[in-house]
Amino acid sequence: MKIFKQIGIAGLLVLTSVPGYSEIDFTGSWTPLFHEDYPERFPGPELGDYMGIPVNAAGRLRGDSYDADRISMVSQYECRPHGSDYNMRGSANLRISRDLDPVTQAPVAFHTFIGFQSAQRTIWLDGRPHPPEYADHSWAGFSTGVWDGNMLNITTTHLKEYYIRRNGVPRSDQAVVTEHWTRHGNYLTVIVVINDPVFLTEPLVRSENWIYDPGQEILPSNCEPAPEVPNPPGVITPHHLPGTNPFLHEVADWYGIPYDAVRGGAETMRPEYRKVMGKPEHVPEKCERYCDCGKDAGACNLH
Amino acid sequence: MRRILFAILIVGAVPALTFAQGGRGGGRGGPPPQGKAGAPVDLSGYWVSPIFEDYRWRMFTPLKGDAASVPINDAARKIVDAWDPAKDEAAGEQCKAYGAAGIMRVPGRLHITWQDDNTLKIETDAGTQTRLFHFTGQAPKEGEPSWQGYSAAKWEVTALPGGPAGVGLGMLPRQGTKSRTLDVVTTQLRPGYLRKNGVPYGANTTLTEYYDHWSEPSGQEWFTVTTVVTDPEYLAIPFVTTTDFKKEPDGSKFNPRPCTAR
Repeated sequence: MKIFKQIGIAGLLVLTSVPGYSEIDFTGSWTPLFHEDYPERFPGPELGDYMGIPVNAAGRLRGDSYDADRISMVSQYECRPHGSDYNMRGSANLRISRDLDPVTQAPVAFHTFIGFQSAQRTIWLDGRPHPPEYADHSWAGFSTGVWDGNMLNITTTHLKEYYIRRNGVPRSDQAVVTEHWTRHGNYLTVIVVINDPVFLTEPLVRSENWIYDPGQEILPSNCEPAPEVPNPPGVITPHHLPGTNPFLHEVADWYGIPYDAVRGGAETMRPEYRKVMGKPEHVPEKCERYCDCGKDAGACNLH
Repeated sequence: MRRILFAILIVGAVPALTFAQGGRGGGRGGPPPQGKAGAPVDLSGYWVSPIFEDYRWRMFTPLKGDAASVPINDAARKIVDAWDPAKDEAAGEQCKAYGAAGIMRVPGRLHITWQDDNTLKIETDAGTQTRLFHFTGQAPKEGEPSWQGYSAAKWEVTALPGGPAGVGLGMLPRQGTKSRTLDVVTTQLRPGYLRKNGVPYGANTTLTEYYDHWSEPSGQEWFTVTTVVTDPEYLAIPFVTTTDFKKEPDGSKFNPRPCTAR
């Protein structure tokens, strides 16, 4: 009987002791793999390329009006950090750290640091609610995470408007972004789902892979974002008025793709679209742009 | 005092060891159940792959010579530059882009069913291919190479950090370590194409896949397959992609069609 009493006491001690929280460990340094859409992600997308985006007419118009000169002409664009949703698809390295409650050792948050513009983000794991609708929006937004088995499901709200693709396809500040993170050995897979009632007709799903790279050093950025204020007198944000952008056909002609497909939209992303899409106007004999991006695990150069 | 310490050790270790052995409720003293009985998620049904990424390499046959994003080597570059779909057609090899290392990237729909308690079957409408995931162990040593090869599958078990040998004092079953992933390793592949325009993979390729099921807040089900193609013959490093599949209510859009080389 005595031993049962002792086991009972021991059980109470264990149950009231510090529980061990040790989820799938995402902490450490990661390097993005560009084995999908390398030319879009690193050198940058072609103008007017909306392929793979369930964009609506308003989003398409914003893309058509985009002029990259705005980055050098308007101070608020010069050092603008990526939105946290785009950051997971961007070209910079990633470091993840974790906060633990000092008493319970329960995880409180993951923090991500991405080199481009020193983007920092917190993903709260402690069950706190999202702020009210009127709260400030930021580049990182407000993120909370909940585990489902070995997958961390993240919800992000309160994002500032940003873009979905670096050629001006926009994502509004009304978007809600959900992410699903898993780790398989040295690979981190991040699935990003953008629900944007303003510029998308249905959720946009993109999944990116990162490889564990504990030796990397991520340097801070020296570029600070400027205040978002009206342009000074005489400074006009470079743009194209509707119907005047001369570059929109380039991507179709360079890669031999029907123009309608280049314009994007949910209907162009279904497998059955291949039966109804038109013929390209111009088909080059062979690849001439970015054909060797990633060869020998190397960089992406124009030729 | 020593007895109490011993008792603490026993009581503290039980949850940890139980978790390490079972992972998904496999019971004490044995490996967790595999096959249909051990499935932590339901992958059966009809699925479609909306093309969000690599659009111009997947929706269209890319231009000759376009190997962007794939970490090919010099040997592969020669094959890419020599690609001739007419030759493939003449040789009856129209299905080279529909082998296991490439088929999940081909736009189309999947029909996933349990062929039996230990075999998960994936049928594709594009190219009418059939993949069989065997939960019964490794590939046979002398298998005949084929487009789909031999796929050994298991539900992933995530062990306790530090392994099961540690003392479990104060360690309760924890969040995030109960895997819901299907791991598949495919070998015995007939050489084929990663992309329709002749980006090659060789006979010694090993294909490792991780199937992860997730849902949108609306309840819409998806799975994402992380694909790792390791090919010492034509790739400088493993080629890693992720492909997303959305669940459909029925098979009304499943449209079987033969392989094409162009």
